[in-house]
Amino acid sequence: MKIAIIEDDAETRAYLVNGLKEIGFTVDSASDGLSGLLLVKEGHYELLVIDRMLPHLDGLTLVKTLRSTGCTVPVLFLTTLCGIDDRVEGLNAGADDYLVKPFAFSELAARVHALLRRPRATMTINLLRAQDLTIDLLKRAVKRDGEIIELQPTEFRLLEYLARHAGQVVTRTMLLENVWDFHFDPKTNMVETHISRLRSKLNAGGKPDLILTVRGAGYIIHETT
Amino acid sequence: MKQPELFGTTSFKLSVLYLGLFVCSFIVIGASVYVLTVHSLEQQLKNGIETEANRLKAEYDAGGLNGLIEEIAEDECGAAYLFGLIGPHSRLLAGTLKNIKPEAGWQELTHRLAVPDATGNDKLYIYVIALPQQIWLGVGDTGAYIEETGKAIIQAFLSGIVLVLMLGAGGGIYLSRAFLQKIGGITRSTEAIIAGDLKHRLPVAQNPDELDKLALLLNLMLDKIGALLENVQQVSNDIAHDLRTPISRMQFRLENALHKPLSEAQYHEQIACALSETDTILATFAALLRISQIEAGTRRSGFKPVNFSDIVGSVTDALFPVAEEQLKLIRADIDPDIILDGDQELLTQMVFNLLENAIVHTPEQTHIEIRLHVSGNNIELLVADSGPGIAEAYRRKVLQRFYRLDQSRTTSGNGLGLSIAVAVVELHGGTLTLLDNRPGLKVLLSFPAQQR
Repeated sequence: MKIAIIEDDAETRAYLVNGLKEIGFTVDSASDGLSGLLLVKEGHYELLVIDRMLPHLDGLTLVKTLRSTGCTVPVLFLTTLCGIDDRVEGLNAGADDYLVKPFAFSELAARVHALLRRPRATMTINLLRAQDLTIDLLKRAVKRDGEIIELQPTEFRLLEYLARHAGQVVTRTMLLENVWDFHFDPKTNMVETHISRLRSKLNAGGKPDLILTVRGAGYIIHETT
Repeated sequence: MKQPELFGTTSFKLSVLYLGLFVCSFIVIGASVYVLTVHSLEQQLKNGIETEANRLKAEYDAGGLNGLIEEIAEDECGAAYLFGLIGPHSRLLAGTLKNIKPEAGWQELTHRLAVPDATGNDKLYIYVIALPQQIWLGVGDTGAYIEETGKAIIQAFLSGIVLVLMLGAGGGIYLSRAFLQKIGGITRSTEAIIAGDLKHRLPVAQNPDELDKLALLLNLMLDKIGALLENVQQVSNDIAHDLRTPISRMQFRLENALHKPLSEAQYHEQIACALSETDTILATFAALLRISQIEAGTRRSGFKPVNFSDIVGSVTDALFPVAEEQLKLIRADIDPDIILDGDQELLTQMVFNLLENAIVHTPEQTHIEIRLHVSGNNIELLVADSGPGIAEAYRRKVLQRFYRLDQSRTTSGNGLGLSIAVAVVELHGGTLTLLDNRPGLKVLLSFPAQQR
C-alpha cells in the first residue's frame, strides 16, 4: 500500500518515512506543498499524510485543492501543538483525521491503519462481528456467544468503535476523540476505567478477554481468535 | 528646565493672548475717557469766556470805549480772565493780550505768544468780538488745567497698562511654570518607570485638576500593566520550576541508560519512563498555549448555541465510573436543554476539569454534587464536594496558573486545569467563584442566559 508524506521538516519526514516503511508500507515523500501536489497527482496513493505548515502551498490549501479536483484519498493532517483551531479548519478543508505534533509513532500508525480501513463510501452496516461478539447496530443489542450483554450507552459506543476497528490498534486519544468527543488529555485514567468496566461485562462467566491491551499503544479486538 | 519650553506652553500662549486683548481694550477705554473729559472741560471754559466777553460788549454798548477800558482795568485786578482791547494799527488800548488777530471768533495761542512778557507755554483760549471803528475785544483764559487733567488721565492709564502687563506676564509665567513643573514631574516619573522602576507612579496633587486626573488614570493603567507583568514573571518562574522536575528526571533516566550496563528490559523501562516525562512537559506546554489562545478570544467568533445540559451530562457520565472506582459518589442534578452560546469543545473541557478536580483532590467517601439550572437571568453550574475544601486565603491563588495547594507536587496534574476553566468561563462572559461547602469546596459558575 502506498502512502505519500508531505512534510517540510527533514528530520520528521525521515522519521515518518522510515517508520511507515518498517511496518510494511511503500512511502514517497515531498518537502513542500507544490511538489506534494505534483506527487499526489502522478502517483496512486491510498493515504496522504500532510503537514499543516508547508512552504509554497500550505497544507490547508493543498487539501482544499485536492478535494476540489475530485481526489478522495484519505488525508491525515498533522498540526502543531498550539493550533486549537487547526483541527476544525483541517477537517473543514476535507482532511479525514488529524494528529497534533509531537506524537508517538504508535499513535500515527494506529491512525494510518484506521484510515486505510475506513470504508470509502458510507455503506450501511447493521451488524458488526468479531470473534464470538455480535453487535446489532439497529437494535443496539450486544451478544457474546449468543448471550445478551446489557451495556450503558457509553459502553456501547466504546465497544462499537473498537469492533468497527477490529484487527487494528485503537489508541486512547482515538477513543477520547471518537467515543466522547473530548479533545484534551484527562489526568485521571478515565479511558482505562471505562474499558475495564466494559471488559468485566463482556467477560462475565469466565470468558476470555476480548479487548486486549497493547502496551504503550492502545487497545485491540482481534477479528478472529 | 529649558526656558524656551516655558514660552511654548499652552498656558503661556493663552496668557499672552488674553493680555493683548486686555491691553487693547484698556487703550480704547483710556482714549475715550481722555477725549470726552478734555472736550467737556474745554466747553465749560469756553462758556465762561463767552459770557464774560458778552458782558464787556454790553458795557461798551452802554458806556462807550472809555467805559469799557475802565471796566477792563477794574476786572484785571480780579485776574480771572485775560483781556485785550486792540485798536486800529494793532494798538493795545487795554489789557494784556497784545497779539490777537483781528478776527471775530475763537483763537488758540500759547501764553507766550499772546502776552509779550509772559513765559508760560500753556494754551490760551481767546474769544474775539469785533467792536465798531476797527476795535477788537479779546477775552481769554488759560487751558493749563485741561492739559494737566488730560496728562493725568493718560498717565493713569499708562501705569495701569504697565501694571496689567506685569501681572499678566507674571501670572502667565507662574501658570506655565506650574504646568511645566507638573509635566516635569510626570516626565521624571515616566523616565523612572522606563528605567525599570515599575513600582513608580505619576505624582498626583491633593486637589486634582485635569492633569492630575489623567495622571490618576495612567497610574491605574500602570497598576494593571504591573499586575500583568508580575503574572508573566510568575508564570515564567513557574514554567521553569515545573519543567525542571520532569526534565531532570528524564536526564537521570537517560544517563542511567547510557552509562550503566542494563538488561534489555531495563533499557526499555528507562526509555519508556523518559518518554513519559516528555509527555508531561508537552502536556504542560499544550495547556499553557491553550490558555493563551482562549484568552486571546479568537474562539468567540465561532460561538454557536450549544446544549450545555448535554455537555454536563456527558462529562458526568464519563467521570462517574472513575469516581466510583475511587470510592466517591457523584450526584447529578441537571435541568434539561439549557442552551448557551459558546464553544462546545472548550465548555466540555471546562466542566471536565472542574469535575475531575473534585474527584482527584478529595479523599475516599467524598460526596460530589454537580448541579445545572437556570437562576433568574443566569445559568448556574455548581460543582461541590465534601472534601477538605480550600481555605479562604488560598481561594484566589488556586485560580492562578501553576498554583497547587499540594506544594510538594506529588499529586498528578500541572496546576493548569483550573486556569483553563477560568479562561473558558471568562471567554463566555461568565464568572467563577470558589465558595465554602461546609465542609468542602463549592465551585459556582454563572453565565448570562441567552436573551432569545
